[in-house]
Amino acid sequence: MQIEPAFDAHRPDGTGPNRRTLLKAAALGLFAFNVAGVEALISPAEARTRGAALSILSANEAALLEAFGEALVPGARAAGIAHFVDANLARPHHDSLLTARYLDVLPPHDAFYKAGLAALDGASRAVLGAPFAQVSAAAAKPLVAAMLPGTIAPWQGPPAALFYLAVRSDAADLVYGTRAAFARMQVPYMAHIDPPGDW
Amino acid sequence: MTGGHTPSQHAPKRTDAVIVGAGAAGNLFAAVLAEAGKSVLVFDPGPAWKTGDLYSSSIWSRRLRWGGPAVESAGANPFGAGFNMGWGTGGAALHHYGTWPRLMPADFTMKSDFGKGLDWPIGYDDLRPFYDRVQEEVGVSGDAEAEVWRPAGAPYPLPPLQQFAQARLLQRGFHAQGMKTAPSPMAILSQDYKGRPACLYDGWCDAGCPIGALANPLVTYHPRAVKAGARFVNGAHVTQLIPGKTPRQAAGVEYIDSTGATRTAHADMVILAASTVSNPAILLNSTGGDWSRGAGNGSGLVGRYFMTHSIASVYGFFDGEETENYMGVTGAQATNMDHYGKQSLGGGAFGSLQWQLAPTMKPNDLLGVAMARADLFGADLTAFMERAVHHLAVMFGFGEGLPMLENRVELSERSGPGGMKTPRVVHSFAPESVKLSDMAAKLGLGIIKAGGASEPWAGPMATAHMMGGTIMGSDPRTSVTDSFGRSHDIDNLVIAGPGLFPTAGAMNPNFTNHALALRGAEHIAARWLS
Ligand SMILES: Cc1cc2nc3c(=O)[nH]c(=O)nc-3n(C[C@H](O)[C@H](O)[C@H](O)COP(=O)(O)OP(=O)(O)OC[C@H]3O[C@@H](n4cnc5c(N)ncnc54)[C@H](O)[C@@H]3O)c2cc1C
Ligand code: SF4
Repeated sequence: MQIEPAFDAHRPDGTGPNRRTLLKAAALGLFAFNVAGVEALISPAEARTRGAALSILSANEAALLEAFGEALVPGARAAGIAHFVDANLARPHHDSLLTARYLDVLPPHDAFYKAGLAALDGASRAVLGAPFAQVSAAAAKPLVAAMLPGTIAPWQGPPAALFYLAVRSDAADLVYGTRAAFARMQVPYMAHIDPPGDW
Repeated sequence: MTGGHTPSQHAPKRTDAVIVGAGAAGNLFAAVLAEAGKSVLVFDPGPAWKTGDLYSSSIWSRRLRWGGPAVESAGANPFGAGFNMGWGTGGAALHHYGTWPRLMPADFTMKSDFGKGLDWPIGYDDLRPFYDRVQEEVGVSGDAEAEVWRPAGAPYPLPPLQQFAQARLLQRGFHAQGMKTAPSPMAILSQDYKGRPACLYDGWCDAGCPIGALANPLVTYHPRAVKAGARFVNGAHVTQLIPGKTPRQAAGVEYIDSTGATRTAHADMVILAASTVSNPAILLNSTGGDWSRGAGNGSGLVGRYFMTHSIASVYGFFDGEETENYMGVTGAQATNMDHYGKQSLGGGAFGSLQWQLAPTMKPNDLLGVAMARADLFGADLTAFMERAVHHLAVMFGFGEGLPMLENRVELSERSGPGGMKTPRVVHSFAPESVKLSDMAAKLGLGIIKAGGASEPWAGPMATAHMMGGTIMGSDPRTSVTDSFGRSHDIDNLVIAGPGLFPTAGAMNPNFTNHALALRGAEHIAARWLS
């Protein structure tokens, strides 16, 4: 049996990577998206542009998630929120990178997202008279604002505040949590170990 | 003997000690017992993390959190198990923030002093030598003299960590109000120490510190345990204790391995170090033999007195200044404990308060900039972010949660691995604890304003840390273990972790966790060898 040293960042000769060294994380950590039948290790934004297949969400659900994500955090649609969430939902729960994990959302998380999206669309149709994906940001604002306080009605799904926080956080991850986003905001990233891909 | 990771099919069927959980307490016990010459087998359901797995990314860090069966949360102030529980070698301590204050003497005598809560079976003086030894072993940075509140103890082995603009600006407010501040005591190296490098102040501690500047188990007790021959089996979820020949004996543990197979491991000694939530769940699920109420549960108190800390978060803008809120460490740069006295806030509040100033904020994540105003979205959020990433400052008031019988870890109706029931945590703060957090928020707003912050606001009350559920005490009728963590009911069962705490104080628990574990492990080893 081969024993790996538990502390592998500090070499006896002192050459590091004990000081700041940009290690590339294993490609193993990347998400594989299926583009026209071919597996590609790409970012969710690229997966979206290249029309990668979805595993868990339907096309309608993905469009709705993009619209909701964009309403919460402008930029989330292009950053590939639907593909990001979809790819994570397709992973085993313990490998998921979704904040829903922190928020004590009981698995299965695909049911949580699907039910939340259906509830949002239902509320939009009832209150605004149109599917959520078709209403303008200005029209959607009061509806979205009623989610965190839990006053949105009608609402038939997981707690509206929880769903709002989970999707808002997914969107914030993609729009604000990547190396490119840090650079855009002039926040130094200062990685010890670069994450796989830019997200 | 060769230690390290062992596939479950090669795990020995019998060892001197089986340790459940490869986190903070589990690794410390493994090191001490293996170094005493005992054969040690450690089980953990999560992966065998290596420092190279600790990618600097809030998104990727979520892999380090609890990935086992979901823990339900209930009560008026539900506890965030998903955020607080660890997974895999290192446990929650792998990605903990290393803020390491000691408990205060008054935390040990709350019932005697105030008729509230509980007393510990030991006092601060019993733990003091263990605090001193642990800080020397793992390297704690701080300024003992500046911490005027600090109880007696050896000075820190390392000078304080560097501070950045956010800390300077926030401390201005405390000083303007006539309050004191000190560098936070941190289990993070301000200088190279024992072959580990000093901190680089990039604020990625929440994702795990791969260089080993922060005292996570992978760079402290785990290498010692491996060197002394302890074997670690990952992907192994322990479901229950197996009864021995008499009700006062455990024969070992049952676990589900990574292939889903049910296996058993027999041992002379069983150490439960699977976290404050999992320890009671395993005990309550252990209903074999004569243990109809669960193992070690003669008192009926397994799972009871679960505690957490309240957090009052106070934010403000310093528009003319670059707050450098992305620099530093995830824990805190400075502290204040002027209101640690249990009744010092008055006004119906009860319990201790500890301020932690200027933690690093990354733009995203639960403790990140975007979450500072969860109510903002759309264009309003975009505008907020542009301003906040360079000008926001934050401080957290950690408030004591009282030990209350009705706050508990219990079994839910859902089934997990091996058909065992999964845990549910029921938690509500006492009214005086809610008051404490409310008053902390008001106090904090005054302080941050006095420091020159504009538009200060307080976030909703949050919770952090988990303690209690398997409390120690001298009376077997009113506690689960003795002061060393030995079960009152089962002679060869030891429980480790902050679950032993009878009161929570307002201090981050891991330093006390280590001190207690060292005391317990050495006691067990000494008795065993004699
Ligand atoms: C984000 C975060 C920040 C923190 N920051 C600080 C801080 O700054 N200062 C501080 O003092 N404390 C901090 N803490 C708390 C600190 O990490 C814990 O108090 C400490 O790790 C508890 O030690 P433990 O051994 O009881 O549990 P852990 O270190 O969590 O280890 C428990 C292990 O048991 C395993 N386990 C669970 N169930 C089973 C089972 N059924 N079978 C086998 N194994 C099982 C888990 O996978 C885990 O590896 C923080 C915690 C978190 C989550
Ligand atoms: S800030 Fe310091 S302790 Fe935290 S991850 Fe970076 S080097 Fe490690």
